[in-house]
Amino acid sequence: MIIEILQQMLNGLAIGSVYTVIALGLTVVFGILGIAHFAHGSVAMSGGYLTFFFGERLGIGFFPAMALAMVVGAVIGLLIERLAYRPVRDAPHINAFIIALGLTMMVEGINLLAFGADQVVIQTPYRGVFNVGGVAVAELRVLVIVTACTLIGTVALLISRTKTGKSIRAVAQNRPAAVLMGVNVNRVSAIVFSVSSALGAAAGALVGALLAIAPGVGEGLAVKGFAVLILGGLGSIPGAIVGGLVLGVSESLAAGFISSAYKDVIAFMVMIVVLLFRPEGLLGKR
Amino acid sequence: MNPRTARAMGMTALVLAALTLPLWVTLPYFQHLIILALIWVVLAQGQNLIQGFTGYVSIAQAGFMGIGAYGSTLLSVKLGWPIWLTMVAAPLVTAALAVLAGYPSLRVKGHYFAIVTLAYNMVIFIVLMTWSSLTGGEAGISNVPRPPSVAIGGFVWDLAGRVGYYYLTLIAAALATLLCALILHSRVGRVLLAIRQNEALIEAAGVQAWRYKLFAFVISASLAGLAGALYAHFIGFLNPDAFGVDHSLNAILAVILGGSGTLSGPVVGAFAVVFLPEYLRVAENYRLVIYGFILVAATIFMPRGLVPLVAQGIRALAARVKRERR
Repeated sequence: MIIEILQQMLNGLAIGSVYTVIALGLTVVFGILGIAHFAHGSVAMSGGYLTFFFGERLGIGFFPAMALAMVVGAVIGLLIERLAYRPVRDAPHINAFIIALGLTMMVEGINLLAFGADQVVIQTPYRGVFNVGGVAVAELRVLVIVTACTLIGTVALLISRTKTGKSIRAVAQNRPAAVLMGVNVNRVSAIVFSVSSALGAAAGALVGALLAIAPGVGEGLAVKGFAVLILGGLGSIPGAIVGGLVLGVSESLAAGFISSAYKDVIAFMVMIVVLLFRPEGLLGKR
Repeated sequence: MNPRTARAMGMTALVLAALTLPLWVTLPYFQHLIILALIWVVLAQGQNLIQGFTGYVSIAQAGFMGIGAYGSTLLSVKLGWPIWLTMVAAPLVTAALAVLAGYPSLRVKGHYFAIVTLAYNMVIFIVLMTWSSLTGGEAGISNVPRPPSVAIGGFVWDLAGRVGYYYLTLIAAALATLLCALILHSRVGRVLLAIRQNEALIEAAGVQAWRYKLFAFVISASLAGLAGALYAHFIGFLNPDAFGVDHSLNAILAVILGGSGTLSGPVVGAFAVVFLPEYLRVAENYRLVIYGFILVAATIFMPRGLVPLVAQGIRALAARVKRERR
């Protein structure tokens, strides 16, 4: 029993770390530009498909393919920011959100046209399984967790330690003041979108290796990403980490012990319970 | 001719056209689409109430439509309730569920509310798919009965036929629009508009905004429930596919395209959303991309929708004619 719980928790940590990467991409865009970038999940799926495509066509390994997909993802992010969100920057926020919904449909449609409707699983050479005190630890899961931690750490360093990061934080705190200090807001929002979409593409690749990618998965992923933010408290990176792990673990435990068909239902119930009792999130300030 | 008479004449022509429609639209294919469009008017009016008036985007409209559709069908097929009763019960059941769903979700604002409602739609979809002993799962329920005919004096209203059902959906669409008009012109409607404009201000003025938001959410959901019941007994076959998230996005598209926050916008939008795919059939594979593009382009270039745009055009034209006469 204990072993099984530990086993499910480990699985949950792996998928939860992917949710955290998704949520991180969402939270930088939301925290800095105030846009609920719902198409993020679909962009992530594009990243997964691209990783698969590069791996198959170019014959390169999983991580180089993922890096290439992240570059393409960053370009997609730049285009989305420039063509879709910038024209409505001064309109009511609801407009940006509706654009996000339209983008979701477009990106999903393009994925469908480019890669077909079949489910895709990215094959990796990391098939080893270690036995740690009766718990089966799959090599792939460990690598997913390590990759996610690396990505999260890099972004955290980028935001807290570099000059670019300083201008990003300045825009998040007070946009008019940042503009007066000579921060180029257009440049900041372009950077934020490309970083966020590259993160999304990486998350899509991890999902493709860990589970599978198929049409419609992206929307679910975006909802999970926002659920993580609601759980953890909005605009906080530690919150995103805690929220992602809580969501991943509770989902895995639910799938293992209650019902795998209803695992998403249970994950959303956790979110709703948190909303009822701690609407500011688990780590949010009252 | 002054604008008011022109408007009255236009409305009269529209009502007459709607009442006599089965006489001049005789192709079953078009009658079928028009009935679906009228059902979508009910749905879109509900969506407009929360999205257009209150400024809260709910992405659960198709899910609530599913609750109404399955609710009415199961009550009539499994429990043997008369269909007229289940059609009234469907919006009430949906409303009850919406109270439960709305209370926690209205604690978060703006975008997060939208995401939470989207999660509801996913939950509803998963339950409809998975609880197959009740809902039939993916295979669905076939042979959902039509309501029985009604005899009023010597006149028999036959609902098994398309023409009879057309009038039922016409009445429903008209009542839904009327309900929204009444809400809009009441104190509640003014509070909803104020919430859209500045929620913090209206709360500071001592109005408990959450009550009004919950009211708008529940009425919006129950209209979706009614639309679902009308849909189920018209199509005769139910499966969860009609109630997925993409159909909720279509409801949002209908409101944006027609004109959010107006009364006639959702009507125009509903017809557009039902008829558009029929004409895009040639480009079936591109449909999702085209729909998404329309949504993005409409939000950037005509954020107020078709109806205000056309109305503005007509007004500009009228002013020009007047000037030239002088």
